[in-house]
Amino acid sequence: MAKQVLLIDRNIEHAEAVSMYIGRQQYEALISTSNEQTVLYLDNQIWDIIIADPNATPETRAYILGFKEANPLVQIIIMSPKEELDDAMGLFGINAIQYLEVPVNSTALDLALTRADNQTALLKRMDRYTSRLEEVHLARNSFNQLFEEVPCYISVQDKNLRVTASNKRFKKDFGSLIGGFCYEVYKHRTSPCRQCPVVETFKDGKSHTTEEIVTSKDGKQYNVLTQTAPIRNSEGEIAQVMEMSTNITQIRQLQDHLVSLGLMLGSMSHGVKGMLTALDGGIYQLEAGLDQGDNKRVVMASGQIKDMADKIKKMVLEILYYAKSRELQYETKDTEELARSVVKTVSPLTLKHGVIFSVTIAPDIGPVEVDPKWMEAALVNFLENAVDACLFDRTKQTHRVTFNVEKASSTEIRFTVTDNGIGMDTETKNKMFTLFFTSKGSQGTGLGLFIAHRVIRYHGGRVSVDSQVGEGSQFTIHIPFKKPKNDRIVEYPGKDSGSDRSTFQGA
Amino acid sequence: MKKKILVIDDDLNVRDYLASLFKDNGYDVCVAGDVKEGIKQAKAEHPDLITLDIEMPGEWGPRFYRQLTQEKDLKNIPVIVISGLTGHQYAVVKAVASISKPFDREELLELVKETLAE
Repeated sequence: MAKQVLLIDRNIEHAEAVSMYIGRQQYEALISTSNEQTVLYLDNQIWDIIIADPNATPETRAYILGFKEANPLVQIIIMSPKEELDDAMGLFGINAIQYLEVPVNSTALDLALTRADNQTALLKRMDRYTSRLEEVHLARNSFNQLFEEVPCYISVQDKNLRVTASNKRFKKDFGSLIGGFCYEVYKHRTSPCRQCPVVETFKDGKSHTTEEIVTSKDGKQYNVLTQTAPIRNSEGEIAQVMEMSTNITQIRQLQDHLVSLGLMLGSMSHGVKGMLTALDGGIYQLEAGLDQGDNKRVVMASGQIKDMADKIKKMVLEILYYAKSRELQYETKDTEELARSVVKTVSPLTLKHGVIFSVTIAPDIGPVEVDPKWMEAALVNFLENAVDACLFDRTKQTHRVTFNVEKASSTEIRFTVTDNGIGMDTETKNKMFTLFFTSKGSQGTGLGLFIAHRVIRYHGGRVSVDSQVGEGSQFTIHIPFKKPKNDRIVEYPGKDSGSDRSTFQGA
Repeated sequence: MKKKILVIDDDLNVRDYLASLFKDNGYDVCVAGDVKEGIKQAKAEHPDLITLDIEMPGEWGPRFYRQLTQEKDLKNIPVIVISGLTGHQYAVVKAVASISKPFDREELLELVKETLAE
């Protein structure tokens, strides 16, 4: 398509000559010789080039400059008698691409037109380039946003296993350190992991999937499903590897929960079988006693049956405690009253088995904020455990359980439970708060201490233990007077993987 | 002469139950609450039959059986496993029988009678 040229000239013959000349070179010219015409043409058409004599339509000079400003692609060539050129230059300055003398020399005009064309082409290219750059910028932004917002951990590692880039979620949980080793950041290790999917991808260029346990900057452990992908450079070599990890901790917790439910059923069925056998035994003794008219045997049997009923009741309660999620129901309770209630529950047991039970409760300890039901159950459990430890010990003549309650500081109460029973070896000590761990054979469910420890922990307290095989054990329980700020719900185990050893302070 | 049965079980109630049951049915009985005591009793009493629990505090039933069979004059004493543990029948392969808690009284007595008659 021919380029559109507006020719503004005071001399119509000159204008027609120029028009005819440039018409041969694929330009289509329109001639204006008046102010009105110039305004009309400028308003109604798009021009590629304006060839103007500034004094032809003197009132439109500013109008032409305004047109140039609004349409930067239009090129202006000024033609003017020699004596007026300086004024024209002063007026148009760099807005015009060329200044020609009238009458116009055809070669000079050719050059000016070519220059104008080149300038237009250059501007158009720049325009295209700029708009592409904007597109690229937008695309980069949206890719960046995708990378940042993907709901999984993304990190990019180089051949030395240094992290070169990471997304927002990664930075939140693992810190924004760039340049650190991935094994340091993900696993707090000092050397590369043994089977590394990133290394595998560097080797074979394929994507690898593994399941890993990673540790966040706050020390939290997450189960993640990790996938890797190679990032190649322009030569097709694998320059970096992207590692994408999805947090599947909750799924794993659910699985653990199911496993622990299975374990619970197993543990329950074993315990229940033992108790049913003993109950059977009681019934047998009762029947035999009645048959033989042996009153002593009947009395003994009924005691045994009652005993078994109590045990079954306790076990069912433990399981219910274990299985039930509920918030701690805090009440302000006098410490002495709480301790007395615990002692009252445990005393008959110690009396029955001939274990000396000495209790010291310091005066004026004051009130404490606890869930009394849970807290009493937990303290009773520690004491019952102490009695059991005495019963299992056959080396000593007399057995003693002591229970001390005192103020440890202005903020904490200390309960101390001491026995001279069988004591614990290191393995037992390490496992004692683990779900379903029992050292009592068929007589334990492995729930009691697990629940007791959890209750203390949720009250913001802690348990420490000192024990020697054959000598006995001492449990020291600290609980704060005030309820902790983030009071917890006593829930199913599994959320912290079934073992509560995280706060266990072994002596 | 009365036949003698050694009852090994860590649960006092179960131990008493089995002891009474066997006594009432014309057997002599001795008892033990763990593996160590069980071996001591076996050596001292030379029972004609042993009932053995599997899961006990400290050492388990199979350990008792291994120790028992290492003693020349004790290794042929028949052992009946009585346990509530799942899979107890695999615990002592050479046991005469392995029965589940809670057990049927008559069946147990029948089994004991048969075992001692051989």
